[in-house]
Order: sequence, then structure tokens, then C-alpha cells
Amino acid sequence: MPLLGEKDANYLRKTFSEQLLSNVKLLVFVDDPSVCEYCDPTQQILEELAELGEKIETTVYNVKTDKATAGMYKVEMTPAIVILNDSGKDTGIRFYGIPSGHEFSSLIQDIIMVSSGNVSFFNEDLSKKIRSINTPVKIRVFVTPSCPYCPKAVIEAHGAAILNEHITAEMIEANEFPELSMKYGVSSVPHTVINERHSFVGAYPETAFVSELFKALGGM
Amino acid sequence: MLFDLGSISERVAERYDVITVGGGPSALAAAIYARRMGLSILVTEKAIEGGQLNLTTTIDNYPGFSNIRGEELAAKMKDHARQLGAEFLNGVVTKIEKHDEYHTIMLQDGKAILANVILLAMGANPKKLNVPGEKEFTARGVSYCATCDGYFFKDKHVMVIGGGDTAMNEALHLSRIAKSVTVVHRRDKLRAVKALQDKVFSNDAISFEWNSIVDRFEGSSQLEFVVLKNVKTGEKKRVKTDGVFVAIGLSPNSDIVRNIVKTDENGYILTDENMETSVPRIYAIGDARKKSLRQIVTAVADGALAIANAFEKYFA
Ligand SMILES: Cc1cc2nc3c(=O)[nH]c(=O)nc-3n(C[C@H](O)[C@H](O)[C@H](O)COP(=O)(O)OP(=O)(O)OC[C@H]3O[C@@H](n4cnc5c(N)ncnc54)[C@H](O)[C@@H]3O)c2cc1C
Repeated sequence: MPLLGEKDANYLRKTFSEQLLSNVKLLVFVDDPSVCEYCDPTQQILEELAELGEKIETTVYNVKTDKATAGMYKVEMTPAIVILNDSGKDTGIRFYGIPSGHEFSSLIQDIIMVSSGNVSFFNEDLSKKIRSINTPVKIRVFVTPSCPYCPKAVIEAHGAAILNEHITAEMIEANEFPELSMKYGVSSVPHTVINERHSFVGAYPETAFVSELFKALGGM
Repeated sequence: MLFDLGSISERVAERYDVITVGGGPSALAAAIYARRMGLSILVTEKAIEGGQLNLTTTIDNYPGFSNIRGEELAAKMKDHARQLGAEFLNGVVTKIEKHDEYHTIMLQDGKAILANVILLAMGANPKKLNVPGEKEFTARGVSYCATCDGYFFKDKHVMVIGGGDTAMNEALHLSRIAKSVTVVHRRDKLRAVKALQDKVFSNDAISFEWNSIVDRFEGSSQLEFVVLKNVKTGEKKRVKTDGVFVAIGLSPNSDIVRNIVKTDENGYILTDENMETSVPRIYAIGDARKKSLRQIVTAVADGALAIANAFEKYFA
């Protein structure tokens, strides 16, 4: 049984054929179902996406048997999704946990952004600021699938990662990783943590997001 | 498991017959009516189509659906509008510029789109308590959305502030997650409809603090205590809690139009019986409008009425 209904599948087929320009590679990292409840459905939904878009390619890795690949992309938990662009370069986009519920739209928007090379919601000025960052940045956005405001926070972080190779941006599904969520004191989502020390809660407008990013880097 | 397509940004035109600001049920109903009348319509939405429906666990008063999840009804409404050819744009409308024959919406990224008719459908947001500690502990134990944040209080002790339908729905939702739920209400009886009252009174996990208001929130890094004040006796008490959900009503999202259209003293947009505001070609629909009942049925009705009138007046 496919996870996507026929109507949604048709809609995605059309969207992908209209909006995807270059190839996008989705790497899915899974573990045995006994230790990773959401690995199977995550793998399945990504395989369905590859069926719907000619330009989408999904490759599945098992973290136990494909240790080297998991290590190369610094995959720490499962299920994980890594997105590579046309030339096989890591975009810095990560999903930890299943991109279901509202987060499914984050994944689709990521695919479109990577493929079209266009992160339109950051204006020129903001894009320039993001591109100017030259130290490593790790953004972690804690979400739940039922949170309607979360995709915005995720997309902004992922958009920043696309614009700047020093930035890695993770979506973390809080329900699936309770210990990590507890460690960062997550009690409302979206909850964003930048470079371990700076955090904020809520989906911020683009300008405010970028200023938080710079605050985290010590106000450059 | 649900896979929601949300508001994937599509390519949009430079001009439409109708543009909605906001994508809640009122806007989606308007989109359905507009398309059936042959009008082009763009629904702009900053978060997710369906608006407050996405914050609702179950809806049991919308005709035809005796019990449906908010998210699911939102998805159905959006699908319906999409199938008829409504277009969607994910973005924040920051400004509206009025002209005689058309109006312009300005998006945060600087883009401007023209429309013959604009529907203001920005809805409403939960009201704040405005007490000490509220801001400090927001997202550190104080929340305005049980559907979003309820899970973090699994097996914990939580409070719900308020006595209306929304507050009781939140209490019932939380009672399935948390260990205990205390409802704090400033009067000695609930405002919620009888069906909900019956449910909360027969629920063992839910207890009540009557005639009480929140005086302040206290804690170190996370919320730890709520100080309640009895409005009858003036007596205060400090109660330990893990989380507080505030559901004391709404305030309209009308900031971006307050200098353009007439509003009442609370910011609710004034309209005539056809939903048209003080500015021709600008209509207001749904919770952002001054009206006596803010529900899905009335929101969708507003959308239909606005389109029917606009069609007659400006497109026929
Ligand atoms: C917890 C809860 C439970 C409820 N339960 C029920 C129920 O059981 N039955 C019932 O009938 N009703 C219920 N309601 C009320 C019902 O959801 C609302 O009456 C209805 O959603 C109002 O619709 P609306 O079209 O006015 O917009 P809203 O649903 O308020 O949506 C407005 C939308 O506009 C967007 N927006 C705002 N400003 C901008 C901007 N500048 N640019 C772009 N987009 C913008 C927002 O993001 C939002 O999505 C409930 C509400 C809540 C919060």
C-alpha cells in the first residue's frame, strides 16, 4: 500500500515535472525496524518520491552495514535523510526522524529549492549576509509532525544550509528523540538551537532568523 | 500516518481577480466559491492552510462531520479548493496598498501582487494573560497550543487557563497525555457548551480551580510554580506545575490593516452584511471580523457571502 494517496501523488508528479531543474539525490539512512520504528515508513515515502519525480533519486543505506557512508555524512541517528545536489555535493540538509505530517511539506520544498537552486524567501540582502558566514554552523530545529508553524523554521534553516556550505541544518522530530529533546529543554516547538549555545522558540520572520543566526555567532 | 503537502510555493501570476490574506477556512471557502464563478484567486498563507484548524484536535460541530481531526478537515478543504483551480502562495503579507480599481498586497520578500478584490482572512490568535513571568516562561512551560506542545507533558501535571470551548477541548486533549489537568477559571461556572461540560466533569484526570486567575508564573529556567489568586477572597496560593496552557480567547490579526480599514476598539474589522469593509473592494471574512460567533461554520459562510457580493458588484 502506498503511503501517498492518489491525489497527492498526482499533484506531486505535476509539481516535480514543472519545478525541478537539476537532479536531487536523497540518501536515507535506516536501522533494523526493531530499534527504529520509523525507518521503514521513511524509506518507503522517499522511494515513492523517487517514483514521482524523474529528477529524484533515492538511495537507502543501513547504518550497520554501510558504516563508512554513514560516517562520511556524520549521520548520528536513524531514520536520517541527507540531500545532495546534482553534482553530488552535500547540501547540509538533514532530517532526523520521519518527515510526516506538516514536515512532509518541508521535505518537498527542500527538494524544489535544491533542484532549482533558488532560495527565494531570503531576499538579496539576507542571502548575502548568510553567504558571508565563514565558520562552521550547526542548526538544529526540533519539531513535531502536528506543529503547523514548524515547517517555516525548518525551511529557513535548510535554506541557509543551501546558501552556505559552512552551514548544516537539521530537522529533528522531537517525539522520536526524547532524550535529545530533553537535553535541550524542548517543551514547545519549533525550538531552534544554533551551535549548541544559542536557542530560540518559534518560527521567526526571515530577517529575525538571520539576526538570530548572527547572534549565535557572537554578533558579527 | 499523514503526509501533508502544506503550502508548497508555486509560481504565481502578477494579478488575480481575488487575493486572500490568510488561508484559514474562510479563505478556502471563498476560493471554492470564486473558482466556481470563474474568478482567479490566490490564497496567501504564512504558516499552513487551514489556519486554526491545525491547532484543533477534534471538531465535532461542523455539519457533515460528527468527529474529524482539525488537520484532516483543513487538508480536505484545501484539496477541494486546489481541485477547482485555486492557487496558493506561501508567504507573509506585510502591507496592503489601496487604489481605486484594484489593490496591491506586498509580501515580505518585497514582491507585490495586484487584485481587483482583496479578502482579509487573517483570523485570530490566542490572547496573552499579561501577567509577570508569562513572557519569560513562554515555551518554557507556558504554551498557547495543546495540539502542538501537549506531548512534552506526557505523564506530567498541567493546567489549562480558561472556561470556554477551546479551553475545555484543550483540557480533554491533555487529559489523554498528562497525568493530571487542572482547569483554572475566573468564574464559578464554565462558559463552554454543555456537551463539553459533560465530558470534562466526567473525566477523572481533570479537576477545577474556580474563581481563580493567574497572578504570576515562577521558576528558574523552566516554569515550576503558578501563583493563583482567588477573585472572591483575594487569597493567593502557589501551586506546583509542569506546564500551563492558556486558552482565554482570541485577539484579531488585523495589525497590517488597522490604518486602512475601520476596526472596533479591540481590532476586529468592521464590515457590512456583505462582508465589505470601509474600503470598497476590500472584504473581511472569518475570525478577524467583528461578529458574534467565531467558528468554522461562520468562517466559511463569510467567505461565500463575500465572493457572491464581490462578483455582483465588481465582476458581473
Ligand atoms: C484550539 C481551537 C479549537 C477550535 N475548535 C473549533 C471547533 O471545534 N469548531 C469550530 O467551528 N471552530 C473551532 N475553532 C475556531 C475555528 O478554528 C476558527 O473560527 C476558524 O479557523 C477561523 O477561520 P479564519 O478563516 O478566520 O482563519 P484562521 O483559522 O484564524 O486562519 C487565519 C490564517 O491566516 C494566516 N495569516 C495571518 N496573517 C497573515 C499574513 N499577514 N499573511 C499571510 N497569512 C496570514 C494565519 O497563518 C492563519 O493560517 C477552534 C479554534 C482553536 C484555536
